[in-house]
Amino acid sequence: MSRPCLPKATDVRTSTLNRGLAWVLVLLGAVVVTGCATDAELDTFAPQGPIARELHSRGVLPVFWIAAVVMVGITVAMVWLIWRYRVKSYRGDDEWPAQTHGHVPLEVGWTVGFLVTMAAVAAIMLWSLPTVDATEVNKMSVDIEDRSVEWEPTVVVVGNQWWWEFRYYFTDQVDLADLRAHGDAKTLPPADIVTSGQMMVPTGEEVELIVTSRDVIHSFWIPALNGKRDAVPNRFSPWKVEASDPGFYFGQCTEFCGLSHSRMRMQVVALTPAGFQSWVDATTQDAVEPTDPAALAGLEVFSGICTSCHVIEGVNDDVFESADQASGAAPNLTHFANRSTFAGGIFNTYNADGSLNRVQLEAWLRNPGDLKANYTVPGEQYRGMPDLDLSEQQIDDLVAYLAGLGERPADWIIEATQVE
Amino acid sequence: MAITEKTPLELGPGDSARYAERPLGIFTRPQAGRGWRDWLSTVDHKRIGILYGASAMFFFLVGGVEALLIRLQLAAPEGSVLSADVYNQVYTMHGVTMVFLFIMPLAAAFANYFIPLQIGARDVAFPRLNALSYWIWLSGAIFLNTSWIVGGGGADCGWFCYSTNSGVAFSPSHGVDFYAIGLQILGIASLVSSVNLIVTCLNMRAPGMTLMRMPVLTWMLLITQFLLLFALPVITVALFLLMFDRLFDAQFFNPDAGADPLLWQHLFWIFGHPEVYIIILPAFGVVSEVIPTFSRKPLFGYEFMVFSGIAIGFMGWGVWAHHMFVSGMGPISVAAFSLSTMFIAVPTGVKVLNWLATMWGGKLKFTVAMKFAVATVAMFTIGGLSGVTHSVAPADTQQTDTYYIVAHFHYVIFGGGVLGLFAGLYFWWPKVWGHFLNERLGNWNFWIMLVGFNLTFGPMHILGLQGMSRRIDTYARGYGFEFWNMAATVGSFLIALSVLIFMWNVVKSKRDAPHLPPPGPDPWDGRTLEWSIPSPVPVHNFDTVPQVHGRDEWWHTKYAENDEGKVVRVATVEEAAQTGEATDVHLPSPSFWPLAVAVGLPLIGYGLIFNLWLALIGALLTIASLYSWALEPVDDPDAAHDHYDDDHNDDHDDEDHGGEDPDEADASADGADQ
Repeated sequence: MSRPCLPKATDVRTSTLNRGLAWVLVLLGAVVVTGCATDAELDTFAPQGPIARELHSRGVLPVFWIAAVVMVGITVAMVWLIWRYRVKSYRGDDEWPAQTHGHVPLEVGWTVGFLVTMAAVAAIMLWSLPTVDATEVNKMSVDIEDRSVEWEPTVVVVGNQWWWEFRYYFTDQVDLADLRAHGDAKTLPPADIVTSGQMMVPTGEEVELIVTSRDVIHSFWIPALNGKRDAVPNRFSPWKVEASDPGFYFGQCTEFCGLSHSRMRMQVVALTPAGFQSWVDATTQDAVEPTDPAALAGLEVFSGICTSCHVIEGVNDDVFESADQASGAAPNLTHFANRSTFAGGIFNTYNADGSLNRVQLEAWLRNPGDLKANYTVPGEQYRGMPDLDLSEQQIDDLVAYLAGLGERPADWIIEATQVE
Repeated sequence: MAITEKTPLELGPGDSARYAERPLGIFTRPQAGRGWRDWLSTVDHKRIGILYGASAMFFFLVGGVEALLIRLQLAAPEGSVLSADVYNQVYTMHGVTMVFLFIMPLAAAFANYFIPLQIGARDVAFPRLNALSYWIWLSGAIFLNTSWIVGGGGADCGWFCYSTNSGVAFSPSHGVDFYAIGLQILGIASLVSSVNLIVTCLNMRAPGMTLMRMPVLTWMLLITQFLLLFALPVITVALFLLMFDRLFDAQFFNPDAGADPLLWQHLFWIFGHPEVYIIILPAFGVVSEVIPTFSRKPLFGYEFMVFSGIAIGFMGWGVWAHHMFVSGMGPISVAAFSLSTMFIAVPTGVKVLNWLATMWGGKLKFTVAMKFAVATVAMFTIGGLSGVTHSVAPADTQQTDTYYIVAHFHYVIFGGGVLGLFAGLYFWWPKVWGHFLNERLGNWNFWIMLVGFNLTFGPMHILGLQGMSRRIDTYARGYGFEFWNMAATVGSFLIALSVLIFMWNVVKSKRDAPHLPPPGPDPWDGRTLEWSIPSPVPVHNFDTVPQVHGRDEWWHTKYAENDEGKVVRVATVEEAAQTGEATDVHLPSPSFWPLAVAVGLPLIGYGLIFNLWLALIGALLTIASLYSWALEPVDDPDAAHDHYDDDHNDDHDDEDHGGEDPDEADASADGADQ
């Protein structure tokens, strides 16, 4: 059950079908098989964590089977009725069949039948509801600045037009109640790690997500790990993911959120606990200070232009509100090069061979609106990154600077990022 | 402006009397006639039904072109037919157009035309209000679509237009303003119409036509009107708040001022879910008429069919939040709405099995209408069952807002609603126009539409389960979406082809009609009262108001069952059908005022958006027209108490309208007066 294709084997009694129809069925089957891509990263029928697996086996599959049985029953009955009772034309008044007006026991019978079927579906629902709703977060030890803290794995997930922010609180941990009391997604308490586009989680741990938004409603969805949860402005909603194995899991915003809804993607990268720890070690540092001249020039450009929206810790204030953006925020770029995608999870930062995807990065800086629809009317709040009229020299310098911000991700992550 | 008539003028003889001068009025009081102007002033429920139907088919083409643009854009990855901005407008307007400007008015066409005929009435309860409903609907429809030209584009927030994306900050063009005001105008039309048709059903049934003898189409349409009556005020409130947010800086949906964006979702879906049943119940009614006729059996379990319809109508109010399972409204609400959603499948399933039981043991003759009706049952069943799969709220967290949902509701709305109404078009076409639609072309229409429909929306189940989000203007390569999207695009063009065949069928059938035998009053050996009167229906509907003795009154006029339970004919159609030749039937008088009222409303709309002075003009026009209407007598004292007939010119004899007293009108038609 790895692909949501049509049933593979159809129990067709070919003797009752003529040859032409059989061929049509064979052709249709071939079409279905070739049409089902083996490479569907968002496939909901390929769960890869315990939550998604339980959801799939307890909730999705049983009700699909019930629906399939009912559908086959009704379809077979209908085809039989058509075949059995069809006439070419009416020949006269003697062609009237018995005038049955109804049959109350029969009708009560199938009413009860449907009630029982739906009661079964209701039981499936009540049985599977805890798989997505109950949380069982276990504390894990995380070393932060040479100090070990007991961390309840929690990530605050913030939707913005059109990118996701992920906030990790280790030193001053926040929970759902704290944030609901706080009530404002635009002025969240300062976090130890603020990243975007890609969320890192440790394997084998249920990670609680607190989902919210700064502008419009978005929806956070990593099909392989769990269903989805809407990110509603100033509402804080609980959700959770868990990955069994290290891996790279794709997601796509699923609540219509305006112009670039289709280009608002995200990925979850599951790391072993040790790998997660080293990621925490790296990303709690301030930004790398550039040394080579091009990168230094890039820092200059960044400080002059980009800081009106973006934050790089060590360069500008990390508690930053951008008045230019409708959401009041733009992606934190402190560890830009540590992420294998950029611009809201839609472009690969690295090529398949591991080299920097310079062409894409330059194209993005040259004219972001061409690659991702935005709303940047001067004098009004921006939604999306505006075109900055950078010179080619400035673009080269910025790329040199950004490429040095943080460690390159592991080879397997870069490889997994490539979708084709 | 002077708006009353004091004393009726003396009329001259002949045609010059048709538009009598009014010394004080702006308009002369129109009289029923045959020219194009008569369509503007008509209060005849049949003409209004035709107006609804024709306008709906026009907007079907508009919404269809929008659908084709969507499919062209999504045919291949990284589509560049439309920009993201235009795509969002097109998919929004596709939804709004198909729901509000196609399928609702097409159902309204059936309601207007056939409720009075099926219950043995000469018109609806309030004929001028009926005209008002249509003209307001049309003005709202035109207003909504002018946003393409003067509003900086269509609304770009989806037909559901969730807050906060609907705010000025996130949707700065006027598209959403046109949406908010346009839908309010359309809502007035539906609301007026629902009151009118409810009163018609309750008060104007022929003698003997008890509620439990009403044809099932009329029953389903009646339930639909109740749903409209209660659903539209809710969306109107929501739209009103949205309008104030956008135009007058109110803060109803501003989260920074403490608003909860879920308020809009609740208001919208309290309307939006009953809306699904508003769309589907009329089609259920059509199917419940067509399948018995072509099975030569009465509908199996009439009471179950009626009460399951009523049950759907009631339960439809308790399921709205299943659109919000992932909104974060809390597990108790999710569980409750998940349960209520499952159990609405029970009355729906009962209907499906009752239709099958109607076919069981019957003599099934597959005319095009029957094919569409049976296909409706089959396709709706698929849509209903995919609905059951995501009524399980946890499972829905994987499916909601993916193409699986797009597939689901198109199987319900297109597979159920549209195919059902097409069955109705083929079934009642001869009744309305006096000639059949060509069955050969109809077969092409049916098969291409059925194949195209399944090729378009079937693959969307797979796409959704493969994780393709809804409402995306493009998708990246490599997610496995390429093949089935291309298939869906091919399918959508097949649907377009089938609609073109239907249009050609309309033209060709009309052209061929003079060379073919006329269908007569009862071409399908029908069961209900509309088949007891000539085709096309005379303006006064019934020569004499029928006395009803049971369900399927007309069938029982023709046939009886003998002691052995065999059906024997007791009367031929020629003997039993009315001739339509009655004269001296008193009919409600036409009026221009409904049209005038309707013209004022979009002016108010434009005024609210662009310049309040314009709104003032519109408001004055509306109010003045309402007053004129109120002061215009219900019955034109000058009108002849005579019907006009399509077959001859309507030269009234002087004595016909000379000294006749309106109060002497046929008492049975009195209910048709306001």
